[in-house]
Amino acid sequence: MIGTARLLAGISLAFACAATTTANAQLAVHKDLTLPIALTMAQTAAQMCTAQGYKVSVHVVGRNAEVLVAMRGDDANPHTMENSMRKAITSRMQGRPSGDFVTALKDNPTAGALHLANQIPAQGALPIKVGNEVIGAIGVSGSPGGDKDEACAKAGIDKVADQLK
Amino acid sequence: MFQTAYRLAGLSLASALACMAAGSANAQLLTHKDISLGIATTMATTAIETCKGQGYNVSVHVLDRDGQVILGLRNELAGAATMENSMKKAYTARTFRRPSGEFANSVKGNPLAGALMLTNIVAAQGALPIKVGDDVIGAIGVSGAPGGDKDEACAKAGLDKVAADLK
Repeated sequence: MIGTARLLAGISLAFACAATTTANAQLAVHKDLTLPIALTMAQTAAQMCTAQGYKVSVHVVGRNAEVLVAMRGDDANPHTMENSMRKAITSRMQGRPSGDFVTALKDNPTAGALHLANQIPAQGALPIKVGNEVIGAIGVSGSPGGDKDEACAKAGIDKVADQLK
Repeated sequence: MFQTAYRLAGLSLASALACMAAGSANAQLLTHKDISLGIATTMATTAIETCKGQGYNVSVHVLDRDGQVILGLRNELAGAATMENSMKKAYTARTFRRPSGEFANSVKGNPLAGALMLTNIVAAQGALPIKVGDDVIGAIGVSGAPGGDKDEACAKAGLDKVAADLK
């Protein structure tokens, strides 16, 4: 009787392990941004800022911080392309608004992230999420204030919110 | 005597006026026509969709008169190198004022051509200059199709779409 129980326990353990192994062997399934969604986001953000008289550039980056859309507004200042890209990459890498990095540096001005390529403490970019998973980021530069850049970035995300699932 | 004096006076007046005119002309600012984001977006999306319609996933760049990026677009399924390559092709077409494929042909016999050592120059077909008359105001580059000729055909579709606006 005890022997049978042990045998059964052993068998179920074996099955459990087999199940675990199978799960690990499965490929990871990712949801990623498409160009049409990224382009809609960028155009919405650009138009939102343009309507307020701000000449901005916009970047949308994907899961690996790869650039999907780089968009320079008419008459936007030259540095805004680099800045919107770096804000977006910062937001993607840190999984939070690039403005939060600014705040965090006040307590820790020697944060290591400052020395990584393309990271920048400047408000104006937001992570793009599916649930809690960060699949990219959108960054804006050129408004008179990072809060205004961020508002345009948010308009871009809001526009496609129902597709981010 | 008077006549000579008048003549001289007339001449110097004429010269002075000519100089003023020349001075004014030189002092004028240069007037340019440049690509707007709206036109660049139409060009780039047309190129992306033309290639997608043929089953090719590509990236596209539209550069301005100074070789700066106005718009870079990556089809989500395009290869990793296509973003860089489409930008470099476009830069090559812009700076040499001719299709990047023509530049590629011109350096075939000279693989150590100095131009190949410059930043962002690539000997690869797939980009065309954007012109208003003979004035090159930018370039469009495509990368990702199986062959530079196919990339270039998509770039041309983008150019053709806005041909009426390029004046």
